[in-house]
Amino acid sequence: MPVLLLIASMAVVAGLWLRRGRSDGDTPTRLVTAAIPALPAHRREWGQAMVAELAQVHGRAQRWRFAAGVLRVVLFPPPRHPGRALPVAAAGVTAATVATIAAVREVPNLSVFVATLSLLLCGYATVAGTRSARPRRSLPHVIVAAIAVIAATAAVATVLRVAVTHPAATADPTHVFSVLFAALLTGYLGFALAARRLSDGAVPWWALAATLASGGAWALTTLATSAVPDGVSAFLSPVATAATLAAAIGASATAADRTTGVRAGALTIALSAPLHFAAGMTAQLRVHHDTLTNPYDIAAFPHSGYPDAASYLLSDAIAGAILTGFVLSPIVLGVLALLGAAAGTRLRQLGTRSAPGR
Amino acid sequence: MTRTRRPSAQTVAVLQALAERPDDWHYGYDLCARLGMPAGSMYPILIRLADRRLLETRWESESVSGRPPRHLYRLTATGRAYATANAAATSTTIPATTNARRSAPPRLGSA
Repeated sequence: MPVLLLIASMAVVAGLWLRRGRSDGDTPTRLVTAAIPALPAHRREWGQAMVAELAQVHGRAQRWRFAAGVLRVVLFPPPRHPGRALPVAAAGVTAATVATIAAVREVPNLSVFVATLSLLLCGYATVAGTRSARPRRSLPHVIVAAIAVIAATAAVATVLRVAVTHPAATADPTHVFSVLFAALLTGYLGFALAARRLSDGAVPWWALAATLASGGAWALTTLATSAVPDGVSAFLSPVATAATLAAAIGASATAADRTTGVRAGALTIALSAPLHFAAGMTAQLRVHHDTLTNPYDIAAFPHSGYPDAASYLLSDAIAGAILTGFVLSPIVLGVLALLGAAAGTRLRQLGTRSAPGR
Repeated sequence: MTRTRRPSAQTVAVLQALAERPDDWHYGYDLCARLGMPAGSMYPILIRLADRRLLETRWESESVSGRPPRHLYRLTATGRAYATANAAATSTTIPATTNARRSAPPRLGSA
């Protein structure tokens, strides 16, 4: 029930956000205008062309249909280098096959996860390789990409460590969590790596500062004090909340632009979530789960099929960390980023008005 | 050796629509409406044609108050030749939606 209320409240906030600012046009226009920056730089003009055409489309259904078509082009723009697809895909599939074979041999419970993750990454690399022109390598974007890769690697490494030390904890007969975790990790990594197209100026710096601050504080909290995150409330910690708000407020106030703040908040979430997951699971591994204390666990464990209490608890912790750390918490933090960006823009406006000589 | 792929039926339909009045500049949405093709299919085709220099593009030079300038499209000389070459080969494989629209064709917008 709390989760439903949470999602409902997020939907209400998102709906209000989409409906506000009538001066910016209707919802299809706002969606399309917001999506166009995601196009590769060499396709940006086509984005503007589609936005201009939307102004000529009349009728609610037709406008939504046209906007849906534009979003499709934004998501899957024609590749600039279609010839690269085959070699990149072949190399990716080869690497995925090797990784999967290694997983089957060493950590069989993670073989589906490894196969899914490596194939998704292969797909991402293929798409990125064919659609990109020449990647712009500014310093903040390089650091963002490095942290994104490190964070995703750390998240995978902690799960691998669990699989090695407590193999039964990573058993996933339905493969639901294996596929979900792989898809989420790829999505977070892809979003962070795409930041060079979506963000300029203040966005990467604010996101980096917030991520490093929250990552450090989170690691200190969980590793130094052995505090084990538990449930949604733990992932909505003051650390993550403050980091997201700070990035959103700071970036929007700096740029005097709400969208910049939202992007900084979103990038902070994308970079922080895998880091927090890795730190949280590492803390879980440091705790010796020899005995069960929760009455529910005591009653459920004998029928769970797990060979020991540690595997039972760690399995529960991984599933909980995936759902809360990569799904629920980011939804709430995303709404906070929206609010923070609005607040930052407002602060900037107030500051400008009260400045001497104005 | 360069291998040339046969264009899709939708691409041929777009080429034919553009080639019907090759000297005119055409709007993207009007092509969508004329061919009954969603923007998500039309624009990738236009982009690919432009990438291959079969299509030339320009922005409206006349400013119209209340709306942004629109993007205009016209076949290049190479594009016209390409359209002619492909028209005969694929005239029988044009999508049903295109044929349906042809029974009562709206006027193709041009600039």
